Amino acid sequence: MYQYTEVDQKLVDERVEQYRDQTRRFLAGELPDEEFRALRLMNGLYIQRQAPMLRVAIPYGLMSSRQLRQLAHIARTYDKGYGHFTTRTNIQYNWPTLESVPDILAELAKVQMHAIQTSGNCIRNTTTDPYAGVNANEIEDPRPYCEIIRQWSTLHPEFAYLPRKFKIAVTGGPEDRAASQVHDIGLHIVKNDAGEVGFEVLVGGGLGRTPVIGKVVNPFLAKEDLLSYLDAILRVYNLNGRRDNKYKARIKILVNALGVDKFRELVDTEWAYTRDELRLPAGEIERAKGHFTPFDYQADAVNNDLQDKLATDADFRTWYEANTVAHKVPGYSVAVVSLKPYLQPAGDITDIQMDAVAELADQFSGGEIRSTHDQNLVLADVKEGDLYALWQALAAQNLARPNVGKLTDMIVCPGFDYCSLANARTLNIADQINEKFEQVDYLHDIGDISLNMSGCINACGHHHVGNIGILGVDKKGEDWYQLTLGGSSGADASLGKVLGKAVAADDVANTLDKLLTKYIEVREGEESFLETVRRTGLDPFKEAVYAPAH
Amino acid sequence: MPLLINQQLIENDPWQLLTDDEQALPSDGAVILPLARFEQARADGSILQLAPLVSGDDDINALLEQADALALVAIEIPAFTDGRGFSFARILRRAGFKGQIRAIGDVTRDRLAFLTRCGFDAFQIADDRYSDDILSALAEISVNYQGSADEPRPIYNR
Repeated sequence: MYQYTEVDQKLVDERVEQYRDQTRRFLAGELPDEEFRALRLMNGLYIQRQAPMLRVAIPYGLMSSRQLRQLAHIARTYDKGYGHFTTRTNIQYNWPTLESVPDILAELAKVQMHAIQTSGNCIRNTTTDPYAGVNANEIEDPRPYCEIIRQWSTLHPEFAYLPRKFKIAVTGGPEDRAASQVHDIGLHIVKNDAGEVGFEVLVGGGLGRTPVIGKVVNPFLAKEDLLSYLDAILRVYNLNGRRDNKYKARIKILVNALGVDKFRELVDTEWAYTRDELRLPAGEIERAKGHFTPFDYQADAVNNDLQDKLATDADFRTWYEANTVAHKVPGYSVAVVSLKPYLQPAGDITDIQMDAVAELADQFSGGEIRSTHDQNLVLADVKEGDLYALWQALAAQNLARPNVGKLTDMIVCPGFDYCSLANARTLNIADQINEKFEQVDYLHDIGDISLNMSGCINACGHHHVGNIGILGVDKKGEDWYQLTLGGSSGADASLGKVLGKAVAADDVANTLDKLLTKYIEVREGEESFLETVRRTGLDPFKEAVYAPAH
Repeated sequence: MPLLINQQLIENDPWQLLTDDEQALPSDGAVILPLARFEQARADGSILQLAPLVSGDDDINALLEQADALALVAIEIPAFTDGRGFSFARILRRAGFKGQIRAIGDVTRDRLAFLTRCGFDAFQIADDRYSDDILSALAEISVNYQGSADEPRPIYNR
């Protein structure tokens, strides 16, 4: 993985001291609230319902065991012993004090980490595929480009006060595990007819109040032009994005207002100025690639007793089938660490669990860990022969629930319990769903399905792109839940359609039960829930939920 | 209102800022006028030394053709959160503008470094937000990945 140069280290060290002084000036009354707010947000610090919340960047979701141990140390020392992984592969601490944040940032800098631009109206952490570098369908590993974008976007002097936040996701091949089509910019590594590798560039995707799938602004961008093209998009947005209404300030609104063709024209005009100046030399791309060299795979890893173990231990087999993914190298496997245990908040992890995962990464997966868009962790390079021992160790830490990609592998925002924006609670509904479906006999029959839940219209739980989406709404002081069906954040991205009127808080799991029973009834062959909804439309499901009982 | 030019506190600035369109032009001297009035005064053949005040909704590109003839362009920062001024300065410098770019409005310490990197070299700062150590803001971060006004090349092309 990427290792800081002296220059990179100096930047984060100086940034810590800069923020320390900003905090000091704020506490001394020298810095107005509004100005400090912008500065603290660009260092990851929100003021939330219960306490400040600090969001730490995990660039493109990749961390070393040493870094994860430091995150555990921070959870233990400055928080209440846990952290929360987010859909943009960062980690949040919910209980630090404002005064301690400069010290936390200094602890992060010691292990080449930071919280720079994890919030605020600036370019946020670039995200990517958690299976980057290890999946067979990849055209090229996207992470070197993510690192190049990270450096370009870090403390960019021109783009720190954009109309609104700005998120970029990169995928390395035809599969999309980064929800790239609902990002401000989605970059897809593609191969053109001449066999050259470059980027398809999407712009103007997003969720929130106005969910939109991104539009292709450039079907093939040469690698060397990556930064000049991003720079041109950002400048067009900075100058033309709306600043009069924060709900209409994202780039998706600008792209929709201009039309993508007009937007492309503006970008191309701007691009002509900086194309030479920002051209990426081949040597710089190679330098970045040099940090992401393949793991030292062993040919004899194919000789293992995995099949014996699968044949003799049914629980292990269940975990293996749900929580591991094929690796491009024979004899290896990608193991997903489920952060969706029974009746625990999605994405939460304790300091002890973090230390344990770090230890397992050292023991079994080259000392590296990835965080995913679905709020899980990944050990990407595990020998098949080590999976059984890994599973046992994860199970001992309550990290081996065999539910990856299943109904209970929900994406859930923290909701009203923690977040000052939320309208409704989410954690209690997630518990209700867990309780309802933990024992139902048809659960294994449902197969792969995504259930995403947000506690308000800002859609941090990505409900629009869940196969089933749940949106918490406030009606006269009561929590109600609106359901959408048919969303997807994958390569076939789509926005879910509203099922009908919202259901009461205590009726959410029952409603899901009706939906899933209907699915099993009407599906054809091996059809997934999403495929069925796309074929039948919403009518059978509306009837199942809203028709009066006979 | 303290004025910093090239990191020096300037006591005798010749430029007079006239933002009120009802206010009559002086008979001589150097005047900064909102862009529309600036263009009108030029068209009228004013003998004053004139500089435009550009604000967020103006089209900076309209100035580029005549930029060589200007000694100063003032850019209004209506609120510190409004980042359009950063791009305005960048576009002016990119077009080869060598004159002064002055930030006027909500100009405060914690934006000075980024403003400078984008090409601003003059800052008019409210009295209650000025302190003698304000320029230490420019030294807080010494690492620049991106190009800037004095070094247009990004770090990987230097």
